[in-house]
Amino acid sequence: MSTTDLLQVETIHTFIGQFHILEGVSLSVPRGSITALLGRNGAGKTTTLKSIIGLLSPREGRVLFGGQTINGRPAYEIAALGIGYVPEHRAVFRDLTVEENLKLAERRKGDLARHADLIFDLFPDLKRFIKLPGGQLSGGQQQMLAIARALVPENQLLLIDEPSEGLAPVIIEGIVLALRRLAAHTTVLLVEQNFKMASDLADQYFILDDGQTVNAGRMADLVNDAALISKYLGVA
Amino acid sequence: MTVAFLRRNQTVLVTLAILAGLVLLMASRYPPRVAASILLSGLTLGSLYFLVASGLSLIFGLMDVLNFAQGLLFMMGAYIGYTLYANPRMLWNTLPLALALMGGGIIGTALARSAWQRTGALALSIERAIVTGAWIGAIACSIIGFGGFDLIALASSSAVVAGGAIPTAQAQASDAVFFGRVIALVLAGLFFGAAIYSGRDRHTIERSRPQRQRRNLILAVVFILLALALTPLRLAGEQFILSLSSDVRFILALIAGALSGAALGALIEWGLIRPLYARPIYQVLVTLGLVYVGTEVVKSIWGPAGFYMDIPALFNTGGENCPSPDLISWLSNHCASIDVLGRPFPSYRMFIIFLGGAVFIGVAILLKRTRLGMTIRAGVQDSDMVQALGINVRRVFTAVFALGAALAALGGVAAAPFIGVNLGIGQELLIQGFIAVVIGGMGSYPGAAIGALIVGMARAFGDQFVLAGIQLPGMETAIKFSPSIARASTVLIMALVLLIRPTGLFGKKD
Repeated sequence: MSTTDLLQVETIHTFIGQFHILEGVSLSVPRGSITALLGRNGAGKTTTLKSIIGLLSPREGRVLFGGQTINGRPAYEIAALGIGYVPEHRAVFRDLTVEENLKLAERRKGDLARHADLIFDLFPDLKRFIKLPGGQLSGGQQQMLAIARALVPENQLLLIDEPSEGLAPVIIEGIVLALRRLAAHTTVLLVEQNFKMASDLADQYFILDDGQTVNAGRMADLVNDAALISKYLGVA
Repeated sequence: MTVAFLRRNQTVLVTLAILAGLVLLMASRYPPRVAASILLSGLTLGSLYFLVASGLSLIFGLMDVLNFAQGLLFMMGAYIGYTLYANPRMLWNTLPLALALMGGGIIGTALARSAWQRTGALALSIERAIVTGAWIGAIACSIIGFGGFDLIALASSSAVVAGGAIPTAQAQASDAVFFGRVIALVLAGLFFGAAIYSGRDRHTIERSRPQRQRRNLILAVVFILLALALTPLRLAGEQFILSLSSDVRFILALIAGALSGAALGALIEWGLIRPLYARPIYQVLVTLGLVYVGTEVVKSIWGPAGFYMDIPALFNTGGENCPSPDLISWLSNHCASIDVLGRPFPSYRMFIIFLGGAVFIGVAILLKRTRLGMTIRAGVQDSDMVQALGINVRRVFTAVFALGAALAALGGVAAAPFIGVNLGIGQELLIQGFIAVVIGGMGSYPGAAIGALIVGMARAFGDQFVLAGIQLPGMETAIKFSPSIARASTVLIMALVLLIRPTGLFGKKD
């Protein structure tokens, strides 16, 4: 692991209740790249993201962000270090308007105003429906809002969980475009079941299986390794 | 406003329309002046239920805690408000002691925390001995602090402070003795803090940042200094409050009730609820247990008998112009009742309706317009996500718990001149508040308000049914109901609502 890595996860073990979900996950995310976290359903991808942001606390192992150990601290402190979390199922706040959803993500006054140009340029729909409650947006718009929320404060790292889940191909296309443009500004750790989308976007990958990191490398190499793909991801 | 507004609030509006229709239908059976007074009674009860129910609903919505202590806080609010209103000496005697205990407690926890972090693992028996010692010290010091030094010379005097009637007739302890009690309670706080902290599982001890530690210490020092400064002012303070008019004292009682409710709520959340977020069932049990403990504490301080609180002069003036023909003339003559369509209605109950409405609007504005309110609304849906945005959601939990407790305690003070001050008032309010919240939907603020209105109206109409019976067309005599039907009606409505909408009228959670 080189010192340019923004995030390092070192053999973490995480339990949910009494279930041992992560049994030694390691990965590293270089600054300024998109890293994909791949694996079957139940492999532990979402649990890994939650262990990084602090919604779950690993019992063993370390999580380093910018060289600093962050595991064991409460989620709000970890987030405030500059990590944006875009959870699965597009957890936007349904009763809050689009504007309130974005405002809530401010860590300092004026965060939204500072980044409004970028956000509304990426997702013009959000500007149109700024006064609408989050719950009345379409699935794709909610996903955009969830991503936009992570762009409001000054974040160095975005953790994005399954952005394509349940969305139509046309809409996924739009989100891929937006994420690609984002990669120029920030670092992304992306969990994605849609292998095509992940391979389009990511520079490198880690594969989880049964709560362990089983494979890692450059995305360009994985795309040509049909055997590996079918073994761990089950897609042809 | 306009179409978008109508569409967004369609559930609320439709429910309100149905409700208004039902109420009017029932009211139309009575002559207008009877109907008006039933409606006003319903609103009065609804206001009181709302003050308890809003806290229940917000607390459950945000942190999934069923706070059974809401009724206790209502009752304590009534006692504290009454005490300030009628017997301020007791408050002046307690305030420095409470401040001293809190200040000592904060310092004690901080000391214990850093001590436990520094020492390595100790043998279990030693650890236990330290904890037991701290508890013994804490209890001994608080007995001396609260009971007074005359406990030491117990045999010489039979006038022990604890228990019995309020010690109005008792001579004021001298300042020197009282300073001693303040210091005893600071010590008690230190022991309590040490005992509570060392008793915890060592792994769960939170790391604390120096900045926060410093702020806590400053707060503790301020508390203790304030306790010392207030000690010589007790007599003057008491006389000052007694010299005020009943209206001013009443307003002070409302404020003191709400503030002490907020303080108690914050203390309960911090001390009892927060350590148990990992074990939600225990949280419910702890609030339930608190009701019993709290009731006994109130009984030991104020005695088992209740009190009557006078209605302040603002709502209690007689005279030849009374009852006031309308609200405007009431503003100038402050009559005890106001004429509504030829029937006098107590003006104090009008005040309760006004208070309920004002609180509803105030909290609605807080929820809608402030960042705290935004955080609460977001947290009701998904508090983990709020946390992942970098917001310390636990602090919001404390704030909401304190807010809910403050509203309940405010309700207690407001209800005191109307339903009296006794140990039982909290229970009844809690049950009706619960029914209101279940009808309105757990976690929904407008739901709590509408639920409380429904329950209030049901009680008012129920009482009327019991009084007069109903006479259907073609019947010779009216059907008479047993008085319990008024109480049963709210439960029936709840069952009916739950059959149609299992989450309550506006509930989003299951």
